[in-house]
Amino acid sequence: MIEIFDPEFFSSIARLTTPILLAALGGSICHRAGIFNIGLEGFILLGAFMAVLGSFFANNAFLGALSAIFGGLFLSIIFAEFHLRRKGDPIVISIAINILALGLSTYLLRSIFKVSGVFSHPEIKKLPQIQLPIFNNIPILDLLINNQSILFYLSIVIVFILHYFLKYHKFGLWIRVVGENPEVLRSSGVNPVKIKFLVLLLCGILCGLAGAQLSISNVGLFVENMSAGRGWIAVVAVLLCGGRPIPLFFLIVLFGLVDSLSLRIQGLGLPQQITELLPYIVCLVVLIIVSYKKLRTLSRTIY
Amino acid sequence: MKISLRDITIDYDHLRAIDNLSLEFNAGEIHAIVGENGAGKSSLMSVLYGLNLNYSGKIIFNDNEVFWSSPRDAIQHGIGMVHQHFMLIDELTVLENIILGYEPDDALGFINFEKIQPEINALLKLYDINMNLNELVMNLSVAQRQMVEIIKLLYRNAKVLILDEPTAVLTPNETEMFFKTLRNFRLEKKIIILITHKIDEVMVISDHVSILRNGKLINSSKLKQTTKIKIEEQIVGKKLPKLNIKRGIIERKKVLEVESLKISTRFSHNQPIDLFIQKGEIIGIAGVSGNGQNELIEAILGVRKVLGGSIKYLQEDITYKSTRHRRIKGISFIPQDRRKDGLAIKSKVWENAININLNDKKFSIGPFLKKKSIKNYANQLINEFSIKVDSPNSSVITMSGGNMQKLVVARELSNNFPLIIIENPTWGIDVGSIAFIHQKILDMKARGAAILLVSNELDEIDVLADSALVMYEGKISNRIPKDIKFRENIASKMLSGIHFK
Repeated sequence: MIEIFDPEFFSSIARLTTPILLAALGGSICHRAGIFNIGLEGFILLGAFMAVLGSFFANNAFLGALSAIFGGLFLSIIFAEFHLRRKGDPIVISIAINILALGLSTYLLRSIFKVSGVFSHPEIKKLPQIQLPIFNNIPILDLLINNQSILFYLSIVIVFILHYFLKYHKFGLWIRVVGENPEVLRSSGVNPVKIKFLVLLLCGILCGLAGAQLSISNVGLFVENMSAGRGWIAVVAVLLCGGRPIPLFFLIVLFGLVDSLSLRIQGLGLPQQITELLPYIVCLVVLIIVSYKKLRTLSRTIY
Repeated sequence: MKISLRDITIDYDHLRAIDNLSLEFNAGEIHAIVGENGAGKSSLMSVLYGLNLNYSGKIIFNDNEVFWSSPRDAIQHGIGMVHQHFMLIDELTVLENIILGYEPDDALGFINFEKIQPEINALLKLYDINMNLNELVMNLSVAQRQMVEIIKLLYRNAKVLILDEPTAVLTPNETEMFFKTLRNFRLEKKIIILITHKIDEVMVISDHVSILRNGKLINSSKLKQTTKIKIEEQIVGKKLPKLNIKRGIIERKKVLEVESLKISTRFSHNQPIDLFIQKGEIIGIAGVSGNGQNELIEAILGVRKVLGGSIKYLQEDITYKSTRHRRIKGISFIPQDRRKDGLAIKSKVWENAININLNDKKFSIGPFLKKKSIKNYANQLINEFSIKVDSPNSSVITMSGGNMQKLVVARELSNNFPLIIIENPTWGIDVGSIAFIHQKILDMKARGAAILLVSNELDEIDVLADSALVMYEGKISNRIPKDIKFRENIASKMLSGIHFK
């Protein structure tokens, strides 16, 4: 049993959690603003590629992260153009964005770097890791929190900022209103389309950072289809939490914990196929519990 | 203060919604704008409020021409509007709803709730309104929600109040309270624009009345210079045919019998419900909408869970039978929402002309439809009910609301079933179609059908029903017999539950 809970178990939780958390935060504001964005997977993937691209050519990890943000914004603007201006169906647009990101990142990987599959290079600078001395002498917290990428700390700060922002900021109030009924906002003299556009941009920035966390924080390489379902996990988490940042945080940490655990168990000799299933099974269990609860509250009022 | 609209014209695609219309609104006046649905009342107001920017003509505000680029401009000039469908968010608090769009914020944009609360409380005190600002809107009654809308306008310092059908959802008592508030505003020299289709209320409250028909201004004058009958004729454009009321014979044979029925609703503490309908009888259920009428109908039709009691149809206990079973046994249903529940609006007229689930041998062989005979049948209905539509092959969506409703009525009444359940059959349709549908309902009664008529319109119940019940918060009253005081008795029960058994 001790073998499972080795230092690597604790320190990997943050690494596994951060990209999903960042993307899910972007997804949650979309959800609150009534934009059904299930294109998070594509957003992360293009962000990851753009991060490697920027970091490689600029020789600077922060410029890599900035480049990832631009990747996310690029997809946001596509989403906004087709959803807000041309009134397209968000599901169709999301799927198009997922396919576009996969194709575009693979194509650019081959045409710019002349490799297929994996691109790794010492010139790809990685984001710095941070040490908070106060945690140095606390056994488990030291492993959990210290020596993580700067984006990990940022994502936790964003969780709380977003929580207060949605509750007490006027723009946060507008986001909540536009998600419930855009006409109410229009009749109060605020343009709902503008709010949705800003929300999409914010989502693009957060998802871009999620991609950067994936490709240039711990590894410094890009792999085709690197997002590998993380965007979908983020979508599920957003829907389960109704876009509320704090429950979202706990759910995704739980998910990261199980993910990390599954890697440990694999070391004990369980077949890989089964251990890799574990996070998804947890997802499914939470889904069933939440929908069961919802059904019960519903059945009290409606047939 | 004065606002004028000059030569306003609005075109939607090929339809002229407002045709070269000019109106003037003066301070300290309650100006009623009346007209049928689709006459252009709401279109006109959306211009004044900056929601509709595609118009020609001028808005003159205190002798200066003004242009709105969004409602925000109109609000800044002191114009406020209460929409017919409230612009409130259920999940937010009263306070959040009031300040929306005009939040008192700090440098970073965070809302200062502490600062604003006393300010709004002072406003409430000034107008003698009782309201908990931290309550969620979803927990408020309809009348309270209306108050929140009014406070919203006061908070924005509105001097021009546009009220779109404000009393449609209020009980007579609440309407009286509401009028009191309006009179206060009049004393403060505000401009009050009241859009309504209730002429009785116009006669009571307004100073000035303007009548719209087909986008044109028919007449605009001081209330004193016109009469109720004149206004009504100007709204319709002609005299209406008189209803042919055949009283018929009510047989002492119960077609529908509801006994100590308990339904799963938010009103379940006010149940059980008892009622019966005899052959050849129209029972009206009156009440402000949302008092449990819809839930009762759903239970009778079998789409809502029954917790106890029984529903008997022609001696058969159908309490736990399927909806399909009930319909096949002979229950017709005319729902309130024709676009959602009554018709498949993107389908064709002939496809909507029959009840496919009733297994009529005339119209199907096994699972296959007999297209030709259905089309013939549809043509027959179109003629008989004078439905205006190009052909049975047209999509339902191309028809007007009145003709859609006629199609639903035609389909359901032509079954000649013993029991007909009708929910607000004339909601939002033109006066001509209303008269036609009323006549058809009376004809069915004369042929011996038992009819349950749920209506929010007191007039409709008054004209059609043989006796009435009132629903209030899920509770149902005793039978109110049709006598000289029929209307008054119904209205007084609608006030509140206190008059109940």
